[in-house]
This record gives sequence, C-alpha cells and structure tokens, in this order.
Amino acid sequence: MNTIADFLNHSYMANPDKIAIVDDNSKLTYHELNQKVISFSSFLNKFPQNSIISLLFDNTIESVIAYLGIINSGCIGHLIPTRISQSNLVQQISSAKSKLVLSSNKNFSKISEIESNNIEKLRFSEIEKTSSDVRNPRSSDYAYLIYTSGTTSSPKGVPVTHSSCVFTTGNIVETLQYSKDDVNVLPLPLSHSFGLGCLHTSLFVGSTLILQKTTDVSEILSSIKNYNANTLAAIPSTLSKMTSGGFEESLNMLSDLRLIITNSTFFPPETIKKLKKILKKGKVATYYGLTEASRSTFMIFDDDEKIESVGKPCKGTSLKIVSNNEESSIGEIWIRGHNVIEKYWDEEHTKANLSDGWLKTGDLGKIENKFLYILGRIDDLINISGEKVYPQEIERVVKVLSGIDDVVAVPMRHESFGQVVKLFVKKSVNSNISKTEILAYCIKNLERFKVPAKIEFVEDFPRTDYGKIKRFMLK
Amino acid sequence: MNIDDDVKKIFIEAFPAISESDFEWDKLQKDYDDWDSFAQLNIITLAEAKFEITFSDDEVTSISSAKNLLDCIKSHL
Repeated sequence: MNTIADFLNHSYMANPDKIAIVDDNSKLTYHELNQKVISFSSFLNKFPQNSIISLLFDNTIESVIAYLGIINSGCIGHLIPTRISQSNLVQQISSAKSKLVLSSNKNFSKISEIESNNIEKLRFSEIEKTSSDVRNPRSSDYAYLIYTSGTTSSPKGVPVTHSSCVFTTGNIVETLQYSKDDVNVLPLPLSHSFGLGCLHTSLFVGSTLILQKTTDVSEILSSIKNYNANTLAAIPSTLSKMTSGGFEESLNMLSDLRLIITNSTFFPPETIKKLKKILKKGKVATYYGLTEASRSTFMIFDDDEKIESVGKPCKGTSLKIVSNNEESSIGEIWIRGHNVIEKYWDEEHTKANLSDGWLKTGDLGKIENKFLYILGRIDDLINISGEKVYPQEIERVVKVLSGIDDVVAVPMRHESFGQVVKLFVKKSVNSNISKTEILAYCIKNLERFKVPAKIEFVEDFPRTDYGKIKRFMLK
Repeated sequence: MNIDDDVKKIFIEAFPAISESDFEWDKLQKDYDDWDSFAQLNIITLAEAKFEITFSDDEVTSISSAKNLLDCIKSHL
C-alpha cells in the first residue's frame, strides 16, 4: 500500500460487507463507504490536484467520507478542530490557502462568517456527484495538513505525506497487533493526529471504528458494551477520569479489551496500574509523537519499573538527546525517520525546527536503557538560582492532594533567585482546600526551592482548540 | 485560632523538624539549622497566603524570628 486511498481500496476489496464505521446515527460497510467516497471525490475533481480543502466536522461518518474523498481526489485535507476560535479559524484558512471549506450543517455558521471572495464554502449536504473521473494521489503527495495546537507558541502548519502515513500506520499495526477482527472505540477528534492515526489504522487492517463525539465516560463504556469492542484509544485524562471513581460498576465493561492505547501527555502511573488490574488479558500502551513526527516511540506497560517511560523508538525512527551540557543526560529530544515531516507549511518554521532531517521537538527528555522518558517542555523550565526545575515535577506532587482538579506551575520573576515557582490551582467542585494546606504539603514533599512562592486559584486555564493548557499565557 | 497560634503553625509547617515543644518566639534565624533563603521564602509565602497580605521587600529581609514575623503580620492587620 502506497497511499491512504489504498487503505480503503484494499479493505473494501477484501471485505466489502464488513462494517467499516459507526457513529451516533448510522453505520456503513466498506462497500458503502467506498461508494460514498468515490461519489464525493468526483465533486472535488474540479480543483487541481494538491489543492487544500479545509474540513470543519465533528466525529461523524460525514467527516470520514469528506476526508477520504479529498484523499481520493488527490487533494490535501486541512483538518480543523471544531472548538477552534473564530480568529484562529480565519488565520488557518488564510495560511493554508484553502480552495474550499467544507463543514457539517452544525458548524456551517462558523465558516459562513469568513470573509473571502476566493474561497468556496459549502455544507457536506450540498456536495453532489459531478463526474466519474478517478484521480489517484501519489505517495509523495501531501495527504493532510494539521496546525499544531500552539501550547507554547503560535500554531504551525504541519503537512504530512501519504508515504509518511503509510509508514506510521504500518508501525502502529505491527507494534499494537491491530487486525481486521478489531472493533475500536474512538473518543478522539479526527482533526488531531492521534484520532486520525486511529482512523488510518482501522482502514489499513479493515476493522470497525466506532466514532464518539465526546469523551463522556458513560458513553464510551456503553459503546464498548454495545459493539463488543476490543480496543479503546483515549487521552490520559479520559482514562484517569474513568478509573478515579464513580464508574466502578461499569468498569467491568473494559475487562475484555485487548488494548487500551493513549498518547504521550503525562500518564499517571496509578491510572496505568488500575487499568492493568481491570484488563483480564489486555495491554495498556502509550506512544510518544508529535503531529510532525507521529508515533515515534511505543510503550506497552508490561514492566512496572518503566511505568513512567514512553518506550523505545519505532522501527525506522531514531532519537537523540541534544544538550548544551556534555555531562547532562537530559536534553532536547530530536527525532529522525520516515515519520518526520520534510518541511512545515511555512518556511520560517522549517528553518527553526528541522535540521538535516532531524526534528527539534522542544521536548525535554532522557534515554535510559534505550527507553525514552519525557520530562517536559524546554520553554517551560523554571530556573531557580541556576537550578532547573520541571513544572511537571511540582504539578505531579500537588495533583495528589484531594480537592484539586488541575494545577500548572510556571516561572515567576524574583529579585534574589531570578525565578521562583508560581502555582495556578483549579479546585474541584465544593473543595475547601486552602493555599496554606497546599504550601504545607509542598514543603513536606518537595525540595525547599521548588515550593511555590505564590499560589493563585483559578476557575479554569486558558486552553488551545484541542483543550491543552496554554502555559505561555500564564507566565 | 488566634494570630499567635497561626504564626506558630506557620513555623512548624515551614520547619517540619521542629516540634511544638521546640518552638521559641525569640529564636533567631542563625540558630536554626535549616533557615536558609528558600526557607525564608517559604515562611513569607505561607504567611502571605494565611493572612492574605503582601510584605514589602524590606519586611521580607527583616524577618529573622517568629516574633519578628508576628509583629510584621500585626502591622498589616
């Protein structure tokens, strides 16, 4: 298989009557999906190959048809999260140079407000079959464009080729043993690299994908039960919520899963242990990757000693730790391999972040016995009198306290120490925890210099369109 | 709890090695084994959080005993 279009063709030819995709309202077999994709892509043949077509959809069958239709027509799918702000939406469409913006009926009001004479704006329901011409993408063509979430800076356009997707999907299938017999529950947006990779994987092996619109735990558990699913892909916070109480009676629905996969954000060891206990025979796994270098490592949690690692590099992928201090084993993680993009959409980002095929991730890490450990973001380090402190180290300690929903540690300027720690705390509903209780706990459990010099309670944190906290806005 | 008790509690929290019976109002910074500049910062942060006050830079550097801290807090209330 050379392109994403081949994934669907192959699975359609092998098992046309198998259920390919399910959402809240309907389901499609591979035959039906293939027919709808061909019909949809015929409309797009009026655009030159490699045109950018922007998509604004929730997780629905429509969104899969639209995406695969774009792929089939040799165009590039620009995937936009539905929670995007209007200003960011306008910025992305302008930067991407979209020819057409497509949305579901529900999201059309957002795109109808975009002022431009050069961009066509349509609802999914307005697309009609217009020709029977078939165009095929080439493996070197771009398949999709995603703008990174911008947790540390302004969003960067990341174009990914078909060949890179084929490589990454092959690695996922091999490492996590996906097969046509799988039924996969997906409460992740297809506009994000994690969710999109799961769609590619399901099409690649010809399995069934159950799309969830939200991360509601009850709905996820119901889907697993109703569809007899055997894999679940979810972000760590969804899995932690699932195991943190309130769902005890329903958690046995997870016990027959063969795989729970999550991604590289901090995955609390307690959650991993709880999930492993629930699963009869199944595996818990994570991966480390960026939109620019999808699935660079995989970790299957067989060994509790390495529970904080994100695993070893995938086949065909190299990692190295780059540090200015020769004596330190900690430094920036650089990645090279077929999964790494060749360039960003804008040249300025290419110059800043890519060097001789190596992607400078901006993530801090260390490699021990070939296993990678993520320590945080370089930009987030707090320098207290020359001591480098990872905010995650402080956050992990404080998060253990009951009555706290989430915390973020950031640097705060200080006359004597250069920087000290400032802690933003989001309390749980009805929590009465005080600042002095948090401080006293920090004094007992952290080195003195890491104890926050200021604590501020907040209602919530500024977040990206993907829901990640924008740390740079708190500094 | 009165202010005296609160200040005493701050010291016991800031110096976990000190028990209530070891606590002395007039014991000076130099007589503590572990009252360094970061411990100073911890004491100030605890006091500011507890009493919802902000110390000036001069006050921060002048605090060198539990008694000092108590007087300083009282001047803000």
